[in-house]
Amino acid sequence: MTTAVQPQGGGGMLDRPSSSSLADVLDTILDKGLVIDAYVRVSLVGIELLTIDARVVVASVDTYLRFAEAVGRLNLEQDKETLPELVDDLNEGGAKSKTKGVIDAAGEKVRDTLGGGDRQRSRRGRKED
Amino acid sequence: MAAVYVYGIVPADTPVPGDATGVGDPPAEVTTVRSGDIAALVSPIETAASLGRPEDMLAHQRVLDAVAAADPVLPLTFGAALTDADAVGRELLDAHHDEFAAALAELRGRAEYLVTARYVRDAVLGEVLREHPELAELRDAIAGRSEELTHQDRIRLGEGVNTAVAAKREADTRAVADLVTPHAVQAVVREPAHELDAARVAVLTDLDAEDDLTGSLAELAEDWRGRVEIRVRGPLAPYDFVATVR
Repeated sequence: MTTAVQPQGGGGMLDRPSSSSLADVLDTILDKGLVIDAYVRVSLVGIELLTIDARVVVASVDTYLRFAEAVGRLNLEQDKETLPELVDDLNEGGAKSKTKGVIDAAGEKVRDTLGGGDRQRSRRGRKED
Repeated sequence: MAAVYVYGIVPADTPVPGDATGVGDPPAEVTTVRSGDIAALVSPIETAASLGRPEDMLAHQRVLDAVAAADPVLPLTFGAALTDADAVGRELLDAHHDEFAAALAELRGRAEYLVTARYVRDAVLGEVLREHPELAELRDAIAGRSEELTHQDRIRLGEGVNTAVAAKREADTRAVADLVTPHAVQAVVREPAHELDAARVAVLTDLDAEDDLTGSLAELAEDWRGRVEIRVRGPLAPYDFVATVR
């Protein structure tokens, strides 16, 4: 852009990107601005295909499950009181990987911890070796 | 068949930004078609050539934003083309000359700035769990149990979190809107486009007031450090403030 505007100098907390990403653009130029009367304009190849709804559906089951998974990973004080091993596991695993496998592995460990019985105790023993 | 692609409407004396190339492959040269006090920013296009590549959309906005940094411009939605320069002059410019000229006069010295604020995920989720003990409990009840057994609970948890985030979004959007209002000719709230959007506010402001606007926002960014990241794009063409009234 040939702009006289200087990027924000001091502080640096405010992000001032100098160009727009495609996501920014889709959200801006497809449904905003003036519309030429349909009977005046000519049709262009490809435009008909552009029935993109740039807006994300903000609330869906997918969103809910993502949120649930994300809060499941959060380390809060209360975790450290009740589930120290899980927290340790998540600290390690969460930092390295975002895969579901990490959560599953952690979950299994908690089941083992809380499950009771000899089998559980022996498995715990093995893991602590 | 050749046609004329139209980007936007400008005052007749507006220079075409030198470094802005248009839509098409290879990118077409942008020129103007004048009529009276106004002009259209245009470039030649083949109707048989496919339009709608990412490059085309980026080019459309780049041309408009480059103009908006110095001169008023009425942006058209992406994908408008007329048969030839004569049609642009008569059917677009002449047909709406006075209303376009009046709108451009109103926009002189002004541009749009788009403020977008995005939550830092773990920070906002931590807030939510601290503020909603019932969600924290539900989360703890789910932890360690199998996915199949907890499917409904996890949906319930996520829905509760989403509702809590939405409430925060509403409050934080209001905070951003209140902050920019003193610097704004007009401000418009955009719908969220992402589940972690904290606020999206388009601001029409005097170009002279840009430093005041970004200064205020920088203070807010400092206050929200670690929980919300704030971005300001602009000057942009006034996309959120120009519409065809039916």
